[in-house]
Amino acid sequence: MSQVNSVLLYPKGGKPSIITNDWQVWHGDGAELSNLDQTQKVLVPFSWWLANGQADAKHADSIVAKRIAAQTIGVWFAADEDILKHAEVIKVGKSMWPLVGADFPVFRDGRSFSTAALLRERFAWSGEIRAIGDVLIDQLILGARSGFDSFALRADQNTDVALKQFTLFTVTTQNSWRDRRSQISSQLSNQQTGAL
Amino acid sequence: MYKYDYIDQTLVNERVIQFNDQVERRINGTLAEEEFRPLRLQNGLYHQRHAYMLRVAIPYGLLSSEQLRTLAHIADKYDRGYGHFTTRQNIQFNWIKLEESPAILADLAKVQMHAIQTSGNCIRNITSDAFAGVAADEYIDPRPVCELLRQWSTLHPEFAFLPRKFKFAVCGAKEDRTILLCHDVGISLKKNENDELVADIYAGGGMGRTPILGSLVKESLPWNVLPSYLTALLRVYNRFGRRDNIYKARIKILVKALGPEEFARQVEGEWATIKDGDDNFQQSEWNRVANHFTKPAYKSAKSMSKSDLIDSAPQHEQAAFARWLERNVKPHQVPGYASVIFSLKPHGSVAPGDATTEQMLAIADLADQYSFGELRVTHEQNLVLADVEQSKLLELWHKAKAQNVVLPNIGLLTDIIACPGGDFCSLANAKSLPIAKAIQERFDDLDYLHDLGEISLNISGCINSCGHHHVGNIGVLGVDKDGEEWYQITLGGEQGNHASIGKVIGPSFGAEQISDVMADIIDTYVKHRTADEPFIETYRRLGVTPFKKAAYLNRSKEVSSVGAAV
Repeated sequence: MSQVNSVLLYPKGGKPSIITNDWQVWHGDGAELSNLDQTQKVLVPFSWWLANGQADAKHADSIVAKRIAAQTIGVWFAADEDILKHAEVIKVGKSMWPLVGADFPVFRDGRSFSTAALLRERFAWSGEIRAIGDVLIDQLILGARSGFDSFALRADQNTDVALKQFTLFTVTTQNSWRDRRSQISSQLSNQQTGAL
Repeated sequence: MYKYDYIDQTLVNERVIQFNDQVERRINGTLAEEEFRPLRLQNGLYHQRHAYMLRVAIPYGLLSSEQLRTLAHIADKYDRGYGHFTTRQNIQFNWIKLEESPAILADLAKVQMHAIQTSGNCIRNITSDAFAGVAADEYIDPRPVCELLRQWSTLHPEFAFLPRKFKFAVCGAKEDRTILLCHDVGISLKKNENDELVADIYAGGGMGRTPILGSLVKESLPWNVLPSYLTALLRVYNRFGRRDNIYKARIKILVKALGPEEFARQVEGEWATIKDGDDNFQQSEWNRVANHFTKPAYKSAKSMSKSDLIDSAPQHEQAAFARWLERNVKPHQVPGYASVIFSLKPHGSVAPGDATTEQMLAIADLADQYSFGELRVTHEQNLVLADVEQSKLLELWHKAKAQNVVLPNIGLLTDIIACPGGDFCSLANAKSLPIAKAIQERFDDLDYLHDLGEISLNISGCINSCGHHHVGNIGVLGVDKDGEEWYQITLGGEQGNHASIGKVIGPSFGAEQISDVMADIIDTYVKHRTADEPFIETYRRLGVTPFKKAAYLNRSKEVSSVGAAV
């Protein structure tokens, strides 16, 4: 079980801020889910959800079902999780999970950038996607553009420096979840100006 | 050539600010070296044997004279007065201080240059035909596509931490001059039957430890959907490429493991969901970029025959000038024009691909005077003035002589491709530069070299293959055995349309043996060749046996003492 004290929240179209973190990440080992305080919000491994959670969810008196009702359970995807193989589970999950996470086992493992991009593009996930694990300042821009909108920064990361990352670049040369490439957006605004 | 607009310029300026902050955090200790490493690599900064090395991007090998002057000044101000042009059309400076690197990037940004993604596990600088836009055998000028892809791939958020580096090559001519099939992705441009620009996509090629030629995974892809198709391809690689073993992490291993058909099918499946998205290039974007690659103001000039050109030289210079015309001057699309290659391979004096500050400044002036202020870098590590009037060739030859860049050895045995090797590179197992030097000194006789004709000799100091030894007709690879430097020889590699990977001939040799072994291999060729038969053809006709026999004759004891081939 792990929990950082604060997370960096950066909603699409909004401004980044540091907020108190109220989600724990359960790694599926050690303590049973049932031992956790029922009001504590928790992200469970997607692999655990596949093996246990989705079945439990169907029983109204299960811990999972109660948590779904209370909006205190979400899943996190391991870097090697092939989410496209579980499209149906994720589609159903959209109405159950207020938040999903994607893990960076080490900061230089870029697989979860694609996971976030696929969740946005393919599953039209509009809820929060949180980067968890080895989340560092210098990968924030990449994550924010790929599809993440919150970041459980590693505890030693300076949040003041982190918050400044998102204004470093004012232009982009390819589309992303957050923005269209500047070349196209400036053409569009020129056209609009012309129309006026 | 392409000129930055406000967006491009802002991006490189902001990149300098970002990197400056990262370097400051590294120096004040809040950013650990392990975490800084990929950041500096994605700004071209390696930590080498003696100092930091900075690799500056020369997108698709195209350079203005003003940019070359800046490179010359950087060599002078921050380095030891020279730079090294690389096999990926970039330039490297070998003696850089970390704390000065942001200032260098700022100097580069002023002339629309950068070092973004010249290293690291990301999409690297895109390479192309050094004769793009001028080659007589060109179907399509590849430069607009290169530039559009340069922009698309720059700071791409999803693909900045791939399993391993990722190299694109783009070509649009009959003869491939890009080693297309040895790239992670090779994009071969052509026109379809409706005269529309389309691309054949080859994936999974590469050199390194496991040399493989790329496989055709998509035919006749419309140019404008390259971003969505490449996103799909890179996404499959990013998700499923191996990350457990650095030597098995390139896309070639994934393509081989899945099989090219299955890989193509997975890419196709991914692409189907995004192919109609607004990632794709728009015609307005093409127009804006392609507008920079219009033809320069060529004079209407009459085509000159070779004998006319030779006759224009004074009698005593005719033989030497003719030889230079034959080797270092290439045909052009426009009558009365030619492309000139400056050889950065003088015999035995400097590392292949090196140019001094003085040479760079002088060559920049020559580019202004004779070639519309533009130059190209070839992957063979030479420089090209692409648009020279034939009637000015003699004058240019005279002036370039003073810079020691007119040796008529282009395509010949001494036009050696070599990586910096163990003299500089911390990855290298062995030195490559002294081997190149020894061979150039051994084969210093120009008459003999010309008689031998086209032979490519490529040297890599380690299996990373930066010296492209796999595709040399003769390849030399530095290997380490119990802390000693040895050299393995391959024969039969080739670049171009008949690209092939050379085969190891047997146990490796000591450094001092290499030039003798080379002489034995060459003698074998001379003995067996038919009239006009190039080395590679003789090799293909005879196979490895006679060459191998010659290479190991009377050497079996020496080589056997170090055991079997590595």
